[in-house]
Amino acid sequence: MTIFATITSVTLRALLGRRRTLLMLLLAAMPILLGLIVRANDDDLSLHILGQTIDGIVTRTVLPLVAIVFGTAALGSELEDGTGVHFLTKPIDRWLIVVAKTIVAGSLTAVLLVPSTVISGVLMGGLGRDAIGVTFAFALATLIGSFVYTAIFLVLSVFTTRGLLIGLGYAIIWEGIVAGLLPGSQVFSVREYLSGIVTTLAPDALPASSVGAAGFLYAAVVFVLALAIGSLRLARYEVRGAE
Amino acid sequence: MTVPTFAPLPSADAPAGQPTAPIVLDGVSRWYGPVVAVNDITFALAPGITGLLGPNGAGKTTILHLLSGLLRPSSGRVLIGGIPAWRNPSVYRFIGLVPEREAVHAFLTGREFVEMAARLQKLPNPKEAAAAAIRTVDLESAADRAVGGYSKGMRQRAKIAAALVHEPSILLLDEPFNGMDPRQRLHMMDLLRTMAAAGRTILFSSHILEEVERIADGVLVIVAGRLAAAGDFREIRRLMTDRPHTFVVRSSDDRRLAAAFMSEPAVFGTELRDGRLTVRVQEFAGFTRSVARVARDAGVSLFEVAPTDDSLESVFAYLVAGR
Repeated sequence: MTIFATITSVTLRALLGRRRTLLMLLLAAMPILLGLIVRANDDDLSLHILGQTIDGIVTRTVLPLVAIVFGTAALGSELEDGTGVHFLTKPIDRWLIVVAKTIVAGSLTAVLLVPSTVISGVLMGGLGRDAIGVTFAFALATLIGSFVYTAIFLVLSVFTTRGLLIGLGYAIIWEGIVAGLLPGSQVFSVREYLSGIVTTLAPDALPASSVGAAGFLYAAVVFVLALAIGSLRLARYEVRGAE
Repeated sequence: MTVPTFAPLPSADAPAGQPTAPIVLDGVSRWYGPVVAVNDITFALAPGITGLLGPNGAGKTTILHLLSGLLRPSSGRVLIGGIPAWRNPSVYRFIGLVPEREAVHAFLTGREFVEMAARLQKLPNPKEAAAAAIRTVDLESAADRAVGGYSKGMRQRAKIAAALVHEPSILLLDEPFNGMDPRQRLHMMDLLRTMAAAGRTILFSSHILEEVERIADGVLVIVAGRLAAAGDFREIRRLMTDRPHTFVVRSSDDRRLAAAFMSEPAVFGTELRDGRLTVRVQEFAGFTRSVARVARDAGVSLFEVAPTDDSLESVFAYLVAGR
């Protein structure tokens, strides 16, 4: 087993704790539950309503929440409880730890939420070509968002023990309120990147995004930047709680 | 033990290739805002066992974290095998660290935990190396149980096995005997002695004098972030013993006994207050040898002789004041 595989397997087992897994499964089930309710009460939703609904439940709610939990737990929790020292005191480059843990946290988020997005999209929009296009656009946005959000929250947890709280503040206050009131700030909003990705692939799903197709580029830049900042920070990481 | 514990400090302009001490702290301080945790400490260690002795909160863990590259020195140099410990993951090839915190991934078995360390050390045969380390710390019977169900002593041994798995030349242990039962403690002391005899440099922290006394060749006494004393354990022990002590004495006639004590050279003061006799002596051993004779010669019956300041903290305070 390589060093990378060793870090990822231990991180995966650490993240799949019983209570956390149950809670994340419940969150991932919310879009499917909504889809079932819609399917039981109505015909297929129009593309616009379908887009707004998936955007509201997945992109704006469940995705940031799941990414915050996995992102901050993958590294920040280990640094906090002291188990991280067993990785830090080995002759391995710190960037490898950041990348391995981000990939695990991002993959877990995606594994939970991409199928949830697809199932809820099909339940609400049906199997028509356009509706499937919208569903696919959101599935891809969720996949990309899983990695970008977890990278941001994982790096945040290396800087502060309040990563969870600050992550929630970012998702709720910055993305939910500030980015809506100040269009200029949307270039710093992952949600806007994801909206840009969706509208590029399925123009009828959402109102036009201010970032458009550049959402792909912004998401990639933020992801790489987060990994770089996290690696630099971890290379200079100092243990907390010494005498 | 004849292994030297202390080594000369390398000079800043030492020529390349010159052998250096395995562990060097040179004028190292570490502060957190206005709080000074470690204050201008200098020492160099050669192979052997050195005890890092000091009361809780003295700065022992900070020193071990500085040595293991987990803290940046605010000033000074921390060298491991001649290279800086800070921001240098390559030093972990020859360092084994046993942190004080018990934190280990609870879902891993002891064997998985040690194997993880072996894999992260890029050992060619991690399973074999882990099995050998587990055997060394006598954890074989519990190796396939989850660490979450371990006792404190078992966790400690698992951490030591993980630190030993790559056979490091330098071993740093933070309060390693915490939680171990007497048999495990003796086993671990034997293990550390064997490793030191094989040429390894071992530095362990403790706040218990007897632990250090039993296995350390040399001792570094840390008090309030300062190096209060350093050297051969016997010399430090003598300093600790031959210092002013205070005893409380109860007898059949305290006043007569106080007068008799004042003729003794080891005694430099007595006080009778609130019905109890306090005796200040210059030298511990001299007084304890003479106290019964003095009482007998004065015709006084002794009921109790108790030292009042034998806590480790008072010993450390004396060492600091004496510098």
